[in-house]
Formats: sequence, C-alpha cells, structure tokens
Amino acid sequence: MTMPKKPTLHEMKTGLSRRRFVLTTAGAAAAGTMTGAPAIVYGAETIRTIGLGVSIINQIQSRASKDTGDKIRGQALGYGAMVGKMLNQNDQYEVAEGYFNDMDVLVPAKVFQAIDTKRIKDWDKVSNLTKTGRLTPGSSLGDGDAPFRHLWVDKDANPTKGPSRYISMLPGWHNADSIGYNPEETGRKIESWAELFSPDFKGKVALVNAPQIGTMDAAMGVEAMGLIKFGNKGDMTRPEIDKLIAFLIKKKKEGHFRAFWETFGQSVNLMVSGEVAIQSMWSPAVTAVKAEGVPCIYASPKEGMRGWHGGCAISARVTGKKLDAAYEYLNWWLDGWAGAFVARQGYYMSAPESSKKHLSKEEWDFWYLGKPAAKELTDPFGTPIVKKGEIRDGGSYEARFKNIAVWNSLMKENDYLVKGWTEFLSA
Amino acid sequence: MLQTAPPHAKRHHGGLIGDQPAPPPQEAARLKKSKRDQTVHPGWLVAPASIWLIVFLVVPLIGIVVFSFWTPVRGGMTPDFTFINFGNFFRQDGFFDPEHRNFLKLSIFITTLWTTFRFTVTVMVVCLIIGYPIAFFLAMQVKNFKWQLALFLVAMVPFWTSYLIRAVAWLPMLGRRGLFNKMLMNLGIIDKPSSFFLYSEFGYTMALAQLYVVLCVGPIFFSLAKIDKDIIEAARDMGASNFQVFREIILPLSLPGVAIGMIFLFVMLMGEFATAVVVYGGKTSTTGTVILNYYATANYPFAAVNAIMLMLAMMIGVFFILRVVDIRKEL
Amino acid sequence: MARWTPRRTRALAVKTGFSIYYVLFIVFIFGPMIAMFALSFQGRRGGTSFPMRGFSTYWWEKLLEPSSIGDLQGALARSLILALVVMVITALFSTMLAMAFRQKFRGSNLLFYTVMLGLMVPGVLLSLGLATLMRQIGIPPAWWSSGLGVHVVWTLPFGFLVMMAVFNRFDSRLEEAARDMGASEWTVFREITLPLILPGIVAAGLFGFTLSYDEFARTTLLSGEYNTLPLDINASMTQRIRPTLFALGTASTLFSLCLIGLFIVVYTILYRRSR
Repeated sequence: MTMPKKPTLHEMKTGLSRRRFVLTTAGAAAAGTMTGAPAIVYGAETIRTIGLGVSIINQIQSRASKDTGDKIRGQALGYGAMVGKMLNQNDQYEVAEGYFNDMDVLVPAKVFQAIDTKRIKDWDKVSNLTKTGRLTPGSSLGDGDAPFRHLWVDKDANPTKGPSRYISMLPGWHNADSIGYNPEETGRKIESWAELFSPDFKGKVALVNAPQIGTMDAAMGVEAMGLIKFGNKGDMTRPEIDKLIAFLIKKKKEGHFRAFWETFGQSVNLMVSGEVAIQSMWSPAVTAVKAEGVPCIYASPKEGMRGWHGGCAISARVTGKKLDAAYEYLNWWLDGWAGAFVARQGYYMSAPESSKKHLSKEEWDFWYLGKPAAKELTDPFGTPIVKKGEIRDGGSYEARFKNIAVWNSLMKENDYLVKGWTEFLSA
Repeated sequence: MLQTAPPHAKRHHGGLIGDQPAPPPQEAARLKKSKRDQTVHPGWLVAPASIWLIVFLVVPLIGIVVFSFWTPVRGGMTPDFTFINFGNFFRQDGFFDPEHRNFLKLSIFITTLWTTFRFTVTVMVVCLIIGYPIAFFLAMQVKNFKWQLALFLVAMVPFWTSYLIRAVAWLPMLGRRGLFNKMLMNLGIIDKPSSFFLYSEFGYTMALAQLYVVLCVGPIFFSLAKIDKDIIEAARDMGASNFQVFREIILPLSLPGVAIGMIFLFVMLMGEFATAVVVYGGKTSTTGTVILNYYATANYPFAAVNAIMLMLAMMIGVFFILRVVDIRKEL
Repeated sequence: MARWTPRRTRALAVKTGFSIYYVLFIVFIFGPMIAMFALSFQGRRGGTSFPMRGFSTYWWEKLLEPSSIGDLQGALARSLILALVVMVITALFSTMLAMAFRQKFRGSNLLFYTVMLGLMVPGVLLSLGLATLMRQIGIPPAWWSSGLGVHVVWTLPFGFLVMMAVFNRFDSRLEEAARDMGASEWTVFREITLPLILPGIVAAGLFGFTLSYDEFARTTLLSGEYNTLPLDINASMTQRIRPTLFALGTASTLFSLCLIGLFIVVYTILYRRSR
C-alpha cells in the first residue's frame, strides 16, 4: 500500500511547475528532442471540464493531466453559473462534473451523451449505491432524485427504467447532509430533524437558502414533529407544499430564523461567530467550524439524512480523440487518487475500494469506517483538520448511506415550490 | 415603450443638451448657419455606440422578450407561443374567492416587485440625505480640482474590492460578536451584544445605502461644481441668507444632478439581489432573487417574464424622475 | 493676512463642520472593511470571522501562491485588463454620445432610452440571451469579446448620464468664438471643449472601471473558458473560504489608496510645471 503523500505548500508550488513541465516537454517533443514517452505527449488532447469547487480543484486536474498525459483544464463555477453553462453551452466543455439532482433538466435537454460502461475500466468496482440504490442489501432507497433513478439511459441518452449498458453520468463524489449544531449552545444532543423547529432555539436557527433543498430540510423537521405526513418528500404535491410553507411562514413571523445562508462559507461563519446554534449544514462545513476551534457536531438524525451525488458526464458534442481522452479522464477519477483526495475533504467516492489504495490506514479508518483517528489527520492541502482520537460524526460510510431519507431533488412541482419559498422569505 | 416622446421635445429649441443663453436674433441666424456647416453630424458620433448596443443589448433583449412567450418544459423551453408565463405572474389561486385564504391577496410576484420598490425608495431617500452634503462639501468647500477628485476617489475605493469579498466581511463587522457590538459595549452604550444590526431591516437599509451612496454623490457633485460662484456672491451681497442662497440658487441648479443620481440608485436598487442574502440573511425576496431562482432551475420563460416586469417598473420610475426634473430641458 | 471677520470665521466653522462630516462618511463607507483588514491578519488556524486565532501574515503569503480552486492571479489580471478596456470605451462612447445629444437629431429619444435599457436589463438574462444568440451563429464566448460587449452595455449608461450632467448648462459661447476665428471642429474640441469636460470624462471612465471590475451576473455565460475575478471568487464560495480573500480585499484597497496618492503627487508636479 502506498503511503499517501502529504501535500504541502512546497508541493503546491511544484504542482505548478509540473504543469509548466508538461508544457515544456510538449514543446520539446515538437522539436523532436524528446526522449521520454513521446506517445503520451503527442496524443495530448485538451479536455475542458467544468463544475463546482468540490471537484474542480487545481491539484486534482493537474494530477489528472500528469497521469493521463492529456491537458485537463478545470473551470470552477458557482452553482447557478455551472448549471447554466452545462445546459446552454455544451460546446464550451468536454466533461461536466455535475449532480444527479439536475439530471431532470440536463437529460431531457440532451446536452450529454450516453456513457458506455464497457469503456469504464473499473465499472464493476462502482458500488451499488448508484446502481441499485442500495449500498448494502438492507439500505433504504430514499425519496427523490436518488442517483439510481437517473443513472440508466439508452444508447441515445434517453432515460430507461432499469439497468442498461449506458449511463447518463459516471457516479463520483457524494455525501449526506444533515444538521450542524453547537452543543454548548443547544445544551443537548440533537437526534432529530424536529429540533430545527424547537422553540428552545428561537432566533438561533438557520436554513439553507435554496428552495429545492431548504424545503426538504424543513419537510424532514415538520414530518419528524408529526405535523405533516408527506407521500414523497422528494416530489411533494401542491397541498403538501402549501401546508409546509404555511408552517414556515408562521415560524418566520415568530422570529424563529436568524438567517438563510447560501454559500458554504456563510454557514461556517454563522456557526463560528455564534449567530446560530443549529442549522442545516454540510458535513465539510462542520469540519471547518471545528478546525476554527468552535465546538460543532454533525447530527445523525434518526429519520435519516439528505443525500447528494455528483459525477462526470460527457458533452454530446465530443467525438473522436477528444472522446477517448474524456473517457480516460473519467477512468482516472475511478482510479483512486482522486477518491482519496476528496475523502480527505470529507466526501465519499463511488469506488471506495480504489480510494482505499491511496489512503493511509488511519485515514481509511477515520473517513470511511468511522473509527477514532489514530493520529492527527490533514485535509488534502496539508492543513490539520482532525485531532487524534476524534470520531467522525455520523459514523461509518455504511451507517450513513444505509439510512438516506431523501436525496437532493428537482421536484415536478418545482415552479410552485419556488413560488412558495418566495412567499416564505417575503413574509 | 421606447418611442414615448418626452413632452418637452417639441417646445424646446436647439439640442437636447446645451441650453445656452439665447443669442441675439441676427447672431442666432449666423450660428445656425455655422453649425450646419461645421459641426460633426451627430450620426457619426452615435454610430459606434448604437451598433454596439444593437449587437450586445437590443438583439439579446429581443431574445428575452421572445423567450417570455415560449413554453417552459423540463430541460429548457419550446417555441410554442403562450401567455401562460405572464398569466402565472399575475394569477393567484383563489384570488377574489371569499372562501379562499388568498381572497384579495395579490400574486406573490407583484407583491415582491412592490416590496422591492418600497425598499428602493427608502434607500434612495437615505442616500440622498447622506450623499448630498458630501457632494456639496466637495463642490463648494474644496476649492482645488485635484483634491475634489482625490476625495471623491477615496469614497469610491470600497467599490474596488469585489462585493463578494466585502459581503463576507459584514458578519464579523455587525454580528453578535462583531466589531461594532464590541465597540458599543466598550463605550458603554449597550451592555449585551445586540443582534439588531445584522439580518434586520435596519441593517439591510444601511448596508444598501453604504453600498450605493457613492453613485449619487458623483452626479450631484458635477451639477454643483458648475454653479457660477459669482451668482452666489452676488446673492450674498444683496443680503440673502445662506439658507436663501441654498434654496433659491444652489438647490434648483443641482436638481439635474440629483435626478441623475436618483436614476442610478433606482435602477441599481431595483435590480439588487446579492445584498439581501448577505446582510439581511435572505429574509426577504426581491424580484432579482426571484429571477435567479427560476433561472437556476432553467425556467427561462418565467425568469424572462419577471425581468420584463422589472424593466417595465424601472422604465416607469426613470420616466417619472425625468418628468419631475426634466434633465433634458436643463441640459 | 486677512482679518478674522465674523464672516470668515463662520465660513471656516462651516468648512470644519463639513470636513468632519466627510470623515464620518468615509468611516461609514469603509465600515465593513475594517473587519476585513483585521481578519486578513488572522492566525493560521483561524477563519473568516472573529475571534482572531493569533496574528500572522500567513494569508498574505498565500495570496502569491497558486490557489487550489480557480486561478486567482490570472483572474485578477483578466478582470483588470477587462476593466481598463471597458473604462476607455465607456469614456469614449459617453463623450461621443453626449456631444451628439447637444444637438437635436432624429431618434434621439429612442437612443436615450435604449442606452438606459442597458442599466435595467437583468444581468443573467442578458447573458443568457446573448449566449443563445452566439451559439446559433457559432461564435464561442470569451471574456474579451462577449464579456467586454455586455460590460460596456452595463457601464455606458452611467458614463453617459455623468456626461449629460457635465454638458448641463454648458456655455458654448467659447466654442462659437473659436469657430468664428476659423478654428477647425477638431481644434475647437481639443482646445476648448475637452479641457472643460475632462473631469467628467475621467468620472465616466472611473464608473466604467469600477462597475466592470465588480460585475458578476452578466459574465456568467459569456466569459468563455476563463473566469474573471468575480466568477472565480464566486466559484471558491462553494468551498471553505479562507482569509486569503480578505488579504486580497485589503491589498486592493491599499493599492487603490496608493494610486490616489500617486495621482495627487503627479498632478501637483504636472500642474507646477505647466505654470
């Protein structure tokens, strides 16, 4: 087993010079003086890939360039800009690092091509989470846009009911979100989504300000309180939305919410600066709060968590050599190095066994198995984020994904939902 | 909409700008002649900008108007002509149905536009109150152009830090454990941290004023700086009080600048979508955020409808400001 | 030395009062940035809000290193170049438009409101509209082409209105006199008009620079393969944000203030020499 390298500032600098190295060697090859592996350099294609800062990280793409011999150029975007670009400009990228909850929009728009699983080397290593929806045989499927509901397509990228040779997007990094809270402020352990609406925390609660996700977190809370029973939280009906929004408006008028956050950093700041005691939160954000010395726990509600799943899709416009290079990049994602990289940020990878090769035993035990950290662990940039002896909230990978209540979704009634959310915020 | 002729267009002589002192008749005739002979034809002056605007504004705008009549579907829109998007903007389930909770309640999109408008006007007034004295100071008290420009530039410096960065800095400044609370506590004004400054309507109003006040200082400064100091001296010599000088001379002559500043503020504030999230904690909706929300989930037709309504409201506002202070007559 | 007449004393008092008000105004304007300045010296383990966890220049050093998300230095360079080009075009177009509007010409009302529309159209939709169009024609968007296009659409109304304020009650007798003496139209403009309206042109250009440098929504679909600075910062917001951003903000503030200082010095020297 290879020991993971601890990337340092020094390595970040060499990362840059490595890229420069690739360029100079390419030039040298053109001049005919190359002695190394000219085949790789000659075949170099430029692959443009777009996505969020979750997967478009310079270290990842420059490593991919080095390993594949192609030039992988990442462009990180904000969420709105990313979806807009994927949908409207598929001539501007070869690979789209998107999310399964947007497939409802992206698949009918035909901006991606079907990915042939026969060309994915490690397809059999991809876990069943995205293939059947169950990580382990006893896992719950979860409401909403679970990846397995959007994964399978036919040769022409039309959705199919069941498994097929073709997929819409190669499953990649994923995680499950729940509630983050400051135990000193709440004074008790939080074990249910219902606590989001507990009068004890009035004025110290925040929700994520995205209609699609915010309502889902709220729905989890309201259902846990026993107020509304939802048929399918991932696809609510109009009367359900009406009831939920009415409840939220009542709470807002009581002054229950401190704020609604939109970015990762905002949620971290809200918690660190003591503005809120409990809020909907992403797992790496909780890690960031703790790294700043403020106590913060990532709750594992008994009702289950809200999952999301990202991956790599290929633009419908890509053909020929570029297509080969795009497949090569996709294969590289499953190879393990990238999986280990995102694991150190708190995300999981669809082929965990490959990632294991590139993680130290201590890291694997902590991030995937939920065991106490045997030593201090760092994030992929070398900053220490986990103290020795710490345990990852939410337990092991299996425990987390066994109990996904709902997946990030784009509901059929999305327009109505956005309208309701607007009413809520305006109230 | 675009071709609405301002009412003064006919009675006003000469160009739209350049309300020059009327020359004696025989000189006027000569001027007219010389102008026709020598002046560069305005067509040449407006051509480059017009072409630019047609390519980068008018054509995409036509696209937006067309989109607003298309049918939204999953994954974008289809070119099937429909009024449904406009209908959805105005229609509210159960409106005028006495049994329904929405009886006599306007559609949320109209309400949002109205809220946006109300906030805009409030902030405009605040900005004017804060900004006018600054423009007055720069134009009337600072004599040297060098210093006038330098002091104006200093006020513009915060703008040169991306608002996305400044936005992050609001919380450590105004939050419960922020600098402002600490300062007030050290001064003994309050004895426990207040959550009033951030995520409140007050904080939001002040933040918007802070962000945009510079926009109205500039134009007011320019119209004040042009006032002939001799007129003011003359009025003083005739025994006018400072207040009279201000009311009778300075204020009327600065109105075009005020109007232009108000146009800037009105349009910027109506289109605002970012500050509400950061400083008000997203506790309100503006038409700008509604547009973004529908844009994000690819309902482009409905986003376009909201955009058209917003532009219509802005157009009416600008038109109204120009009616009150006819800058084009003053110009 | 003039005597301290009551009127002079009063004038001085008024001036002092206004100066104090100006300082308060600057404090108000810079308010939220004070926290930014302080937090840019946050300790290594600290974050983007209080409490301070030590004191260090770690985040300032980070500013010079390649970022992990996006390309901070490259994006900054692109945004600066774009803003400078927008500044020049805005100043040029606004001056030309305002000069034209001194006369009456057909379609002037239509043009006036079209320019104003650039101010009103919501950015994301303008970018969507133009992106769709460009795709139909088959021209790829780029920050220096389509990005530049919509930035000027956005900044032009500001510059134009500023120039309208400048030409307001503009005394054209000087120009007429020069024309009568046989000066060419270009000479009249260069020797008489330009010096009078130069402050306005500078202001129009500054509005152009400022608004373009900060513009985000209009660029979303139109910047092509490379991000401008606001797009890059927006992208980094999907991850943990670091005080590096604050160091960047502080650095740009200090840099701007230095430029203003430099401007005063240069201006003073040039002014002396010309006398």
